[in-house]
Amino acid sequence: MLIQLKNIHKNFVQGQDEIQVLRDINLDIEQGEFVALQGVSGSGKSTLLHIIGLLDAPSSGQYLLQGKDVSKLSDDELSKLRNSLIGFVFQSFYLVPYITALDNVLLPGLYSKTPRKQLEQRAKELLTQLGLKERMKFKPSQLSGGQQQRVALARALINDPQLILADEPTGQLDSKTSQEIMLLFKKIHAQGKTIILVTHDPVTADFAQRTIQIIDGQIATT
Amino acid sequence: MDRSQLHNSIIYLRNFELALKAVWAYKLRSLFVVLAISLGIAALTIIISSIDGAQKKAREVVHWFGPDAVFVLGGDIKSRAVGQRVNTLTWADAKKIEKSLPGAYMVIPMRAVHDVQVKAQHKNINVSVVVGSTANYAEGWNWPLALGRDLNNDDVHRARKVCILGDEPAKQLFPDADPLGKTILINNLAVQVIGVLAYRDFTGGGGRSINNRIIMPITTLTQRFNLDRKYFRALRVKFFHPELMDEHVQNLRALLRYEHNLGPGQADDFTILSAKEILKFLAMLQGSLVIFLGVTAAVAVIVGGFVLANLFYLSVDERKNEIGLKLALGANKLAIRVQFLTEAVILTILGAICGFGLGTLTGQILSGLGIIPIEFSLKVFLISSLSALLIGLIFGLKPANQAANLNPITALKSK
Repeated sequence: MLIQLKNIHKNFVQGQDEIQVLRDINLDIEQGEFVALQGVSGSGKSTLLHIIGLLDAPSSGQYLLQGKDVSKLSDDELSKLRNSLIGFVFQSFYLVPYITALDNVLLPGLYSKTPRKQLEQRAKELLTQLGLKERMKFKPSQLSGGQQQRVALARALINDPQLILADEPTGQLDSKTSQEIMLLFKKIHAQGKTIILVTHDPVTADFAQRTIQIIDGQIATT
Repeated sequence: MDRSQLHNSIIYLRNFELALKAVWAYKLRSLFVVLAISLGIAALTIIISSIDGAQKKAREVVHWFGPDAVFVLGGDIKSRAVGQRVNTLTWADAKKIEKSLPGAYMVIPMRAVHDVQVKAQHKNINVSVVVGSTANYAEGWNWPLALGRDLNNDDVHRARKVCILGDEPAKQLFPDADPLGKTILINNLAVQVIGVLAYRDFTGGGGRSINNRIIMPITTLTQRFNLDRKYFRALRVKFFHPELMDEHVQNLRALLRYEHNLGPGQADDFTILSAKEILKFLAMLQGSLVIFLGVTAAVAVIVGGFVLANLFYLSVDERKNEIGLKLALGANKLAIRVQFLTEAVILTILGAICGFGLGTLTGQILSGLGIIPIEFSLKVFLISSLSALLIGLIFGLKPANQAANLNPITALKSK
């Protein structure tokens, strides 16, 4: 089992009120699954993804990643796991504006032990596979939205992580481009990666094998 | 070095490249930081070089003046403003010192005439000072002769029409020829050259070279320029046992006060300068300038540091997305901190290089105008670079920490 979430709760304090964002989440995800977390804005699906991605900690409950309780890990160990085990794709791409597409893909590699030459070779292969061979030296501002998201995908794959987490990856793309990106996710999944996708859009969620509905911070029983 | 340390070093190295790119990407902000730092470093460069320059000058003065000698001037320097007379040293004083002052082995009375026309071989030059001296002028001033001989007692007693040229008039009057034995006209008096003083590398104040001088027997000078015959202006005394200079000066002062019938409570009517006194005087003159420059440098450096810190706060604020992203991609806090500190240090080192250039240039101008002696060295450059490094680390640390401690999710979500 890759991911085991047991009785996860997450509360945010807003002024004097305490808001329950996630309530009693129990979720198992196997290695190699393609899961969509679907829900409306404010349902808590992104917070759940952040917890799975080790960017946020639950208020209570237990999260086992590869069988290890992540609450027992130090900041540095969490950073290393994020670097080696997880690849992130975001709605607004988050490419570093002042470096080239190739350098952006290399970025997670810079925090790993992989030798530079090997990294560059892999980054070029990934960009070529994703159809950006001619645009490696372009700055993000010179690329279209779909191209930027493909750079972000290549970046998520550079350290060959087991788990890809995508937060509304098609949220800023038109429907045609969205479909292209989702087909790429399918392809990546076919290569053996585990993918967890957050989306509000049922069409996007349909690309996944399993869809989990999140409503008001809870997993909807289907 | 264990594995994780090696791993960290690799990360720092890779960060450096990224930091360089960031510095280049935010050009305007980088420029402001570099400018602010360079002004501070320029001020620092000038202050250190001028302290070094003052010390070098002090060493020059002691070497030139001689640690075993004093120079006695008629009149008290401190009372000059109230119009005290300066013709107080007499031949009787000189004789007395020579005969009865313990330790004194050479007494050379002197007087001087300034801005004198000198002619030779159709050349007409202006010599800034013609010094009348008794025998052994060159030896008395530890001033080697390049050619010829020193003044001797015979020259002085017979008021011979001979002279020793300083390096400058020698070169001006006889650029190609040997000046020895040649005749020159000093204020229309024909005088034979018997010696040439070696060039003395000494950057004197007031822009006048000490090599621009001619020495002749004091008797000849007095006659020709029709000067007072009883008094002279200054007196050079050399002593055995330089380690007893303080005692020598005390004895000399007591003797002169007795000779001049000065009672208790009356001020000296002469001034005794030793190498020590001259150093004190120089230090006093330059001290205030050094303090002024020191305060300026400190303020400039601190202002530079604050400019850096503020622009980096701004930078951290503007680049929150980038920071959040890097945290998400697996950068640890240390990597983020190192990235911002590296950027800060790159900018301050650039600032140090510009500031060193600017300081050197300004120093050359100040030095050229004779305002302050400047001595540049590798040491100055190293101190400047090191200070810049420290400014970068100290003033960059808080913004870098702020960046490292950002919550990745809030950082990613900020617009």
